This record gives sequence, structure tokens and C-alpha cells, in this order.
Amino acid sequence: MKKKVLTVDDSRTIRNMLLVTLNNAGFETIQAEDGVEGLEVLEGANPDVIVTDINMPRLDGFGFIEGVRRNEKYRAVPILVLTTESDQEKKNRARQAGATGWIVKPFDPAKLIDAIERVTA
Amino acid sequence: MASNKPAPGSLKLSPILDLNEASVLHGKLMSMRGSDVVIDASDVERAGVQCAQVLVAAARAWAADGKSFLVESASDAFDKTARLIGIDAKQLVAKEI
Amino acid sequence: MDMNEIKEIFFQECEEQLAELESGLLKLNDGDRDPETVNAVFRAVHSIKGGAGAFGLDDLVSFAHVFETTLDCVRSNRLEPTPDVLKVMLKSADVLADLVTASRDGGSVDAARSRGLVKELEALANGELPAPSVHTEAAAAKPAEAAPQPTDESGFQPIPFSFDGFDEEDEVTLEGSAYEIVFKPRRELYSKGNEAALLLRDLSRLGEMSIHCDTDALPALDQMDPEEAYFAWKISLKTTRGEEDIRTVFEFAEWDCDLEVKLAEPARPDEEQPMVPVPFDLSILDETPTSEEESEEPSASGIVAATLAAAETATNVTRLASVAARVAERQEASAAAAAPAIAAQNTAAASSAGQTIRVDLDRVDRLINLVGELVINQAMLSQSVIENDATGTSSINMGLEELQQLTREIQDSVMAIRAQPVKPVFQRMSRIVREVADMVGKSIRLVTEGENTEVDKTVIDKLAEPLTHMIRNAVDHGIETPEKREAAGKSPEGTIKLTAKHRSGRILIELQDDGAGINRERVRQKAIDNDLIAADANLTDDEIDNLIFMPGFSTADKISDISGRGVGMDVVKRSIQALGGRISISSRPGHGSTFTMSLPLTLAVLDGMVVTVAGQTLVVPLTAIVETLQPEASAIHSFGANHRLISIRNSFCPLVDVGRILNFRAIQANPVEGVALLVESEGGGQRALMVDAIQGQRQVVIKSLEANYTHVPGIAAATILGDGRVALILDVDAVVAASRGQALKPELALKPEMPLAAAG
Repeated sequence: MKKKVLTVDDSRTIRNMLLVTLNNAGFETIQAEDGVEGLEVLEGANPDVIVTDINMPRLDGFGFIEGVRRNEKYRAVPILVLTTESDQEKKNRARQAGATGWIVKPFDPAKLIDAIERVTA
Repeated sequence: MASNKPAPGSLKLSPILDLNEASVLHGKLMSMRGSDVVIDASDVERAGVQCAQVLVAAARAWAADGKSFLVESASDAFDKTARLIGIDAKQLVAKEI
Repeated sequence: MDMNEIKEIFFQECEEQLAELESGLLKLNDGDRDPETVNAVFRAVHSIKGGAGAFGLDDLVSFAHVFETTLDCVRSNRLEPTPDVLKVMLKSADVLADLVTASRDGGSVDAARSRGLVKELEALANGELPAPSVHTEAAAAKPAEAAPQPTDESGFQPIPFSFDGFDEEDEVTLEGSAYEIVFKPRRELYSKGNEAALLLRDLSRLGEMSIHCDTDALPALDQMDPEEAYFAWKISLKTTRGEEDIRTVFEFAEWDCDLEVKLAEPARPDEEQPMVPVPFDLSILDETPTSEEESEEPSASGIVAATLAAAETATNVTRLASVAARVAERQEASAAAAAPAIAAQNTAAASSAGQTIRVDLDRVDRLINLVGELVINQAMLSQSVIENDATGTSSINMGLEELQQLTREIQDSVMAIRAQPVKPVFQRMSRIVREVADMVGKSIRLVTEGENTEVDKTVIDKLAEPLTHMIRNAVDHGIETPEKREAAGKSPEGTIKLTAKHRSGRILIELQDDGAGINRERVRQKAIDNDLIAADANLTDDEIDNLIFMPGFSTADKISDISGRGVGMDVVKRSIQALGGRISISSRPGHGSTFTMSLPLTLAVLDGMVVTVAGQTLVVPLTAIVETLQPEASAIHSFGANHRLISIRNSFCPLVDVGRILNFRAIQANPVEGVALLVESEGGGQRALMVDAIQGQRQVVIKSLEANYTHVPGIAAATILGDGRVALILDVDAVVAASRGQALKPELALKPEMPLAAAG
């Protein structure tokens, strides 16, 4: 069965890169453009793993992660944070919010798939 | 070992044994105390450590109660996870060789 | 979709982000302190940096990085966005835009300027306030390293973490080193979506692993918390990898577990704890019915390698497919058949989850052209049916009506494809205001309104140039110097307002400045000096203001660098007219001027009135016509030999014989035998255009005369009518201007902007 990935990113460029990379690697991909939309589609999407950006309008990655972790049904879903920020402060905030892991942009496809494989069965 | 045990109860494990399922599984097992139990793990697709902890604790409880607690028809995924975390998939005890 | 296409998307997105960045900075400049505004600005730069990194656009990344660092100081309230700070930011935004352009189109940016700004940005990030004077470009002379990396905790120097342990040999390959690992997860590890079993799985892929599960901490069933972490592991791993690789496995979990990794003492591989080798001998589990498939589990690292290989292959396949699509596209360009390329394009589009598709503009243009032909064809068909079938009730007629309706709808829908908001053009203007104002030492704010008003893309594209010209003029000549403004009791900062809105099927663009307004005395004098008007001409204020659109007219005392050859508003007017638009000015001395441009929403079709003039069929744009009337002899008043007025509801309006003006006939026709079209031209008041007869009203497809023939004064374009005849579309403003020229100074009939005598 195909693994389902929910990606949340406001950049059309990154969304497309994620889409191409994930589809090529045989994942089913659902995309949202910000945290608010991410939480909206979460219910119907039932993802195996979530990949999210941090800096987004309306609801940023931290808020989105907290939202997922508060969700009774989806709180256990692994969440990977996709960000250019590799500094400890951002990572820590993401972790405090409940992120499972992170991928530092610019990501290469192998790195992304790798990280997803690491947190999914 | 009790000889006149009642017909063994049976519990089919959910396909996804994740964080959410741990409490559910715990609740189910708590309600089955006192009788022999056969765990059907044939549907398990994904197993996590927290459910394994519940199962191991249950196996101990059943042993203390003098009842049998056995895993039957474990799925491949269940077996693999058990192996990875060093637990005997049938006896649900830390594997001692 | 391949990387090149994504790159195109990236550049499109850059445009949007740059616009976002600029409007955000301008808002901050206006005193907006909404954290969301600062966030949006930060995000814009951040997003550009992120995408640029993915494509290895290093110059862009390093500049964006420095910029972002400084913006983060603003975001975290460590830097107050004062006007001086924002000036640096706005200039940085301009350089960022230049870098994006250079990355896309090749070419280079002003390296000294960008280095200078890098210095300024860094100084701001370090808490040094900018010098109040703005011209710091000189500071750029000192060569700065291209990408100075901030070292404090605020800098996000991207350090890509390495997880390529699977395909990379470590420099220290310890043949079969044995490690002892103690791993004790905490509750948080699980609640954050990590799973100890998966970590152990990944660990097992590094080599040969034996494991002991420590279950001692597990309480009794009825006392346990199902979500607590009780198990811990002691693992021994024989691997060729180094300790780093082992720690990398736990990278995501290291805060949420206790982890010890150390080289095992070789003498005692086992201690008191029994170990389970993993993967272990299957015979132990041989009673389990499902275990025979065990052999299918390949070596763990093999799985990953295979997955990656598969991903790679998939990428290559896609790449090949898109190359094929490209080849097909090229073939399509030479041959007319577009089907395969479109199919390929559709496939690519279908795989994208977006709600928009990008289409080559050429395709849309071709579609629009074809629909234009369809409209003409449909009109011709209707006409011939009407001519051959007088009953008017036949099913053919009804079908034709439906066809007409459908054609119209198709046309509207196709036009809508090309409609785009004027926002990008408006946004470009703010940079021009900034740069020109900087050059002439003025302080000017650009306010835009109605940026989302949509208009045909071709109109937008052609709008930029005249608008740029007008903006430069407004900054250079319209707005006074701060000193003069203050002396006049105005705010030293000038305001230019750019507005777009839809009005009765056209787009109206207004450019308003709060400067000194037109100096009518000087304009008038200049016009007299230049022989544009008679010294005794009696002109209304509006007419004087509109003199600035006359060719070669310049009121600037000094010709500045900015406006080049002087005011040159005639050039602007000509560009606007070429777009089928009109432009006028109204001015209040001391309060400023307003330029109003009215443009068609599309350049492809036009609602027109078909008229006959001296045996020729002409089309008069409907938008220009106020009303039509049948002149009565009593209403006509003659002035001199050539000039006549018509009285309409107690006011007089000059009567213009179109046939005479266009040189279709030698003498003026008798107004009573024709029809008068009352038209309103930009700024010039009303005129009654005399034509011989009205044939009807219809939508016509505009065919450029310039493209097919040559520019004809007084004629805007041509069209093909339903009966297949070619008809000329009248340029109402040119005709009115010509008539005004006559009226003002007959002997200078050749001087006005439209030398109609030359028209054949």
C-alpha cells in the first residue's frame, strides 16, 4: 500500500518539488498551503507522515504541529519539519511543539525520502 | 497451573498498534483479566513499543493470575517488530537465549 | 514536471514574493507595525532563499540570507524599522529583485551596490544605526566578501545535515568495530511521533546487531500508563560505520532519550546480559506459519539503497517523458497540429495538485485569434443566411442565433484567460518612484489602489512604458521639492496615487499627484512660442492643461536626466492611443494634477457603430459615442467658411465632417443629409461627428492596421465585417484633435499631432 504524505508549505516552488519527489518515490501526496489548510485537510487525508514548513502565513509550522498533536486521531502521526533554518533555537521550538524530525532545505530528494523512511514503518 | 480453565478468550489486535492504540488495548486487556487469552496478531501491520509494553505487562499479569496468555498467528510485521525490540513474539517476554 | 519547469515556477513565485516584500516594506514605511506585516516580509525573503538554495543560485541565497538575518532582527524587535532602516531595506529589495532577474535571464547585477547593501544590512543586524544620509553607495567601494556569514545565534547559516551514511564511506572504516549502545526512550519520544522500534530498525541496518530489552521498569498491568516509556535497550552492534552514523540514527530522538554509544571492549563482547542477535535465526520461530517469508527481508541498507535507486529511476523516467514532451512541443511549433504536445502538457498538469495550469501565452493568443476568426465567420454566415432566407423563422436562423450566442460566450471566456491584475505593473512603479525621488532629492510616497483590477495581459504589458514615463514626470516635475512644499504649507513628503478601476467596460487608471499643478501661464506661453496655438486663442483651463500632450511640448526649465527629452507627454498619449485608450489631465494649481487614462479591457474586440462616410464603411468605437442625432437645418450655425456649430439643448458644439477630415471628399457635406454622432474626447469636450448614415451596431474583431499595412492618421485599426468587407475603425480622439487644430489655427493645419493632410 502506498504511503500517504501530507505536505504543508506556502511556497509553490517547494510544493512542486515535494510533489515530484514524493510521487517519483511512490508516495501518495496531499498538499496544503499553510497551517490552517493543513489542519483542514488532515481529517480527510489520514496521512502516514506529515512534512511541514515553518514560516507560513495564517498558521505557522509550530502552530500547525501543535494542532496535529492535539488532534485525538492524528496526534501520533510523525511530522517532519522542512526548513532552511538549522539553528538550534528553531529546531527546539519545533521539537517542543511536537515535531518528530526535520529536514534542512535545500533538500535533495534522497534526503527527503530518507527522512520519511526513518519515521515511518 | 490451573487445570479447569474456562474457554480461552480471544483478542484480535488492531492493524495499527500505535500510541493511540496503546490505551485502547490496555483497556481491552484489563477487562479480560481472569481467563485464558489467545491473542490474534494476524492483522497487525504496524506495531509500536507502547503496545508491546502493554502486551508484555499483560503477559506478566496473566502469568501471575495463573492463566495462559498466548500470541497466535502473528503477522510478519508483528514478528519483525518483536524481533527488533528484543521481545519473544509468542511468549511476550524479553528474549533470553 | 521536471526541474526546469519547477524552476520556472520558482521565478514566477519570486515575482510574487518580491511584490509581497515591497508592499510589506512600504506598509512598514507608512507606520504599520502589525507583526503579520513583518512576518510576511520575512517570509518573502525566506521563501526566495529557500527556493534559490534548491537550485544552487548561490548569489541569490547569500544576499537573501543577509537580508533575512536583518529582517529577523526587526521581527524579533531587536531593530526598530525607522524610515532610515526601511530605506536600506527597500534598496535591498530592489537588489534582490535584480538578483532574481539576473538568475533567471543571466547577466549580472551591480556588484558594488549589492556589496554595499550587504554591509549596510549587516551593520543594521549588528545594531549599528544607519547614517541619516541615504547615499551610502560610496561605502561599497570597499570589497566585501560575497556571503559574510553571521556568527551570532540569530544567523541561520544553513548547515545541511548529512544522512548519506548509506552511500558514503566514512574516512575511518573500522572493520567490524563493535559498539555498545544503551538506549532508553522517554515518554516524549513517542508523543512526538518517534518510535523506538523504527530507531532500532534503522540501527539494525548499520550492521549486525544483538539486542537485549530491559523490561524491568515495566510496572504491573493495572498500574501502568499505556503511553509511558518503560522499555530500554542494550544493543551491541558490529558495524563498519563510525559512531557518528550510529548517533545519526537517533538524531531526531536524542533530546527524548538517554543514549550511550561506546566502542565495546573487544575481550568481552557479552556481559552478564544475554543478547538476541537481530536478525536472528528463524528456526527459533519455525512454528510460526508466516515466518517462511522471512528470507524476503534483504539486508537493511539494501532496502534503502533499492528505494533510492527506484526513486532515481522514476525521476529519470519523468525526465525522459518531459524531454519527449518538449520535443513534441517543438515539432508542434513548426507543424500546426498541437494535439500531442497539449496531451503531454495535460499529463504534466494533471500530476500537479495545483488549481491553476500554466499555458504558453502563444497558445492563448492563437486561440484568441481563432476565436476572432470564428466571430467573423459566424457573422458572415449569419449575413448570407439572412440574405438568402427572408422568412427569418427557419430553424437555420434559430440555430444561427444560438451560434452567435455561443460564439460570444466563447469569446468572453477566452478573453478572461488573458485577464490579469494590474498589480505587477503598479508594483514596478513604486521602485521607480523610489529611485527617481532619491535621485532628485525628493521624498515621495506612492499609494496604489485597485491593484487587483483585471485587464487583458497585452494591455498590461503595454501599459508599463507610458506609466513609467508619467510616474517619472510626476516625481520629477509634478511634485515640488520638500522646501517648496513646506513653503507652500504642505507636508514635505509628496504623495502620488495610482488607482485602477473598471468603468463601463473599460479600465480607468488614474495618476494623481499632490504637487503644484500645471502652471497654465507657462504652458500657454510655451504653446504660443512653439506656434502651437494663436497668441489670442481663447482656451479653457482644461484645454490649456491638455496642451502638454502636444508633440514636442516641454515646460521643464531644465531638461533633467530623469525625463530625458523633456516632458514628452505626446509620446505617452500616442502609446495610450495605440492601445485604443484615451488620456486627459485635470489640474488644480497648488493642489496637483490628475492624469486619467481610459483603456479597453482587451485589444482584441471592440463594440462599434458601423457608419457610412462618403461611400466608405467606418466603425466608430461605441465607447466614444455619447448620442446620435439627426441634425435639423435650424440647429446648424456656420462660422466663417469652414466652421459650423450645432446647437444641442441650448449649447453649441463644433460640427466635424469626418469625410472632410479624412480627406474622403473635397467639400463639406450637408449636415442635414447625414447623422451627427456626439462624441466625447479626452479633455477636449464634445464634438458632433458628421457621417452620412448609420448601418448598425456590432462587435468587431480588431485587426491592426500597422501590422498589416501602415499607420493611417485618424484611423485606429481595421476590421472585417460580416459581408467580408474590410472596414476602418475611426480614431475619434485623433479626429477631434485634428478638428481642434483647425479651429485653433487653420494655417497650421499640418502642425497638429495628426497631420491629416497626409492621409490618403
